[in-house]
Amino acid sequence: MSKFFPALIAATMLVPVGARAEGSIEVLHHWVSQSEVDALNVIRKDLETKGFQWKDSAVGGASGANAQQALRARLTAGNPPGAMQFLGWEGVQWAEQGVVRDLDDLAAAGGWREALAPQLLPFVTSGDAFIAAPINMHRQNWVWANKKLFDDAGVSVPKNWAELIDAGKKLKEKGVVPIAMGDEPWQIGIIFDALLSDINGPEFYQKAAIDLNPETLASPEMAKVFDTLREVRGLVDANFVGRDWAVATGMVINGEAAMQFMGDWAKGEFLAKGLKPNQDFYCFATPGQVTAFQYIIDSFGMFTVKDENLQKAQAALAETIMDPKVQKGFNLIKGSIPARIDVSVDEFDDCAKLGYSERTAAIEKGSMQGAMTHGFAAKPEFAAVFSDVAAQFFVGNMSSEDAVKMLVEGIDNAR
Amino acid sequence: MSAYKRMSSRLASWLPRLVVAPSLLIVVITVYLFILWTGLISVTSSKFVPIYDFVGLEQYVRLWATPRWHTAVANLFIFSALFLALSTALGLLLAILLDQNIRAEGALRAIYLYPMALSFIVTGTAWKWILNPGLGIQKVVNDLGWETFRFDWITDPQMAIYTVVIAGVWQSSGFAMAIFLAGLRGVDNSVIKAAQIEGASLPLIYRQIIIPMLRPAMLSVIVLLSYIAIKSFDLVLALTNAGPGAATELPSTFMFAATFRRNQMGVGAASAVMMLMTVAAIIVPYLYSELRERNNG
Repeated sequence: MSKFFPALIAATMLVPVGARAEGSIEVLHHWVSQSEVDALNVIRKDLETKGFQWKDSAVGGASGANAQQALRARLTAGNPPGAMQFLGWEGVQWAEQGVVRDLDDLAAAGGWREALAPQLLPFVTSGDAFIAAPINMHRQNWVWANKKLFDDAGVSVPKNWAELIDAGKKLKEKGVVPIAMGDEPWQIGIIFDALLSDINGPEFYQKAAIDLNPETLASPEMAKVFDTLREVRGLVDANFVGRDWAVATGMVINGEAAMQFMGDWAKGEFLAKGLKPNQDFYCFATPGQVTAFQYIIDSFGMFTVKDENLQKAQAALAETIMDPKVQKGFNLIKGSIPARIDVSVDEFDDCAKLGYSERTAAIEKGSMQGAMTHGFAAKPEFAAVFSDVAAQFFVGNMSSEDAVKMLVEGIDNAR
Repeated sequence: MSAYKRMSSRLASWLPRLVVAPSLLIVVITVYLFILWTGLISVTSSKFVPIYDFVGLEQYVRLWATPRWHTAVANLFIFSALFLALSTALGLLLAILLDQNIRAEGALRAIYLYPMALSFIVTGTAWKWILNPGLGIQKVVNDLGWETFRFDWITDPQMAIYTVVIAGVWQSSGFAMAIFLAGLRGVDNSVIKAAQIEGASLPLIYRQIIIPMLRPAMLSVIVLLSYIAIKSFDLVLALTNAGPGAATELPSTFMFAATFRRNQMGVGAASAVMMLMTVAAIIVPYLYSELRERNNG
């Protein structure tokens, strides 16, 4: 007791002092892997040139759910961090609780609205005001393929899903696993999201995954999506249960499997092995009539605080994040592309360049849409229903019609 | 009696209560207050953060209309029943076998008890690999020459819950064994001797005399294993992550997902209340009857 108590008192006194030190800002985020930390250092260094210290508060795990838990506790205790990384609807939902700082003055001065795709705004604004600054953009609907296996089987990059499935069957005859993946619902969800848009077009995706239109959900087009998902299931090996996404990427890299559907964070695994895009491996978008760009962004929001020094640090951090130079440096390391649409990607790898140019086209065609599986379409309670149904359908023997019925009932129940 | 002595005797009578008071206060706040709070949240429309309104039993209706919840409830009964029955039976069998004055009993006891020292996370991860058809038992048997051997329960939504039972029983039967073994050591030898003189066979002695005498040990095992069954959250997370396709969902994983991942705090709270009521419905009458019997006897 005698040793414990002074230590406890010291700890409780130190924390607020450290967090409120002049010229520093505490940032709560869930980036803990090496490349993520390296990428954050770009932000940290730029912030230091403005005279503010980045105070790191990383809570890893559970795709950010643990960090959200930490935030809830901090907000309840009346001691929010200076800034927080937001995924999906998190920022908007906290803004509705009135705890997030309005960044509209900075946004107006910095021309944020013109620098971002309009499709992004629902996730970084509340009402009309900016509440978060997006740093990067990942694309969810990529296919990563082993070029040698494609060449050996006489298969080229597919132009539509029928071709993709035929290619998969050819590869299967050659004795390779056509599609590497795990049974985690989000890995199945990546394919399901892509099919929604690729098979039936971006308007269908909008009506089904964002507007939750009951007729669209119950339509025969939705059954077609499940039909194709069933064909994809036939191209996955029997041992997919419990497989981590990075293990699946490894299978494509070492030639056990031909393709993986995964966001562009998989690219780092290829590059780390010294493999080159289009020479050793292919990166291409899931094939649709209109090429979809299903985005995921990481943004940083600031909490309402009284401390004026901290307010200044928050403004400096927001400006740093929206600085084109910082966005370029950050994304070169992180493997994503800048959230701003006016940053040159000349120094990026070929996959990033392809993604960037397809994004420009997708913004015009209306096929740039939020990736539902990562929280950028329907709200979590509805996205979870899609995820449940797609995962149950994928691992079992459910018919497409039963899946549609289950989806419609599930969405109605969650409304 | 001097004043000093009176004080000290008063202190002596108050001291136990004083010592217990802080922990009692903490339990009241962290357990019972939050049970009440959870009950309160379950009748509100809370989603992302708590909202203090009143919507009646709407969240319960929503909960029972969720197929995933039905899977979770069915799984809890399948898992708990099999886990309790198999762990108890295996534990008792191991204890009886170990009680036959065999050599190296201490080492064997440690080996069987050792799995209990592992966390469920380790157990789950190890069994995930052992049960994977491409890595574990199936692959070994196939490689040995039996090509058609199939043991792929973990990939089959119908069978996956039984893999959780296997891993749970592997971990906990040694623990049941240890308690039964202690109980067996407490059985008076003269009773057994007397039965032998009367000409009773060994199986009969166990069935009619020794196992009934293990009743207190049985109560401890069942109560403790019930707790383990209900908190098997981490085993499921590590072994199957509630998959494939939510086939191994348990009420605890459902409650966590609804509350913290799915913006359905109200539904999560309703599921927590349902869990509490289920546990209470089973445990309370059982404890009541056991305690009453003990008081009478």
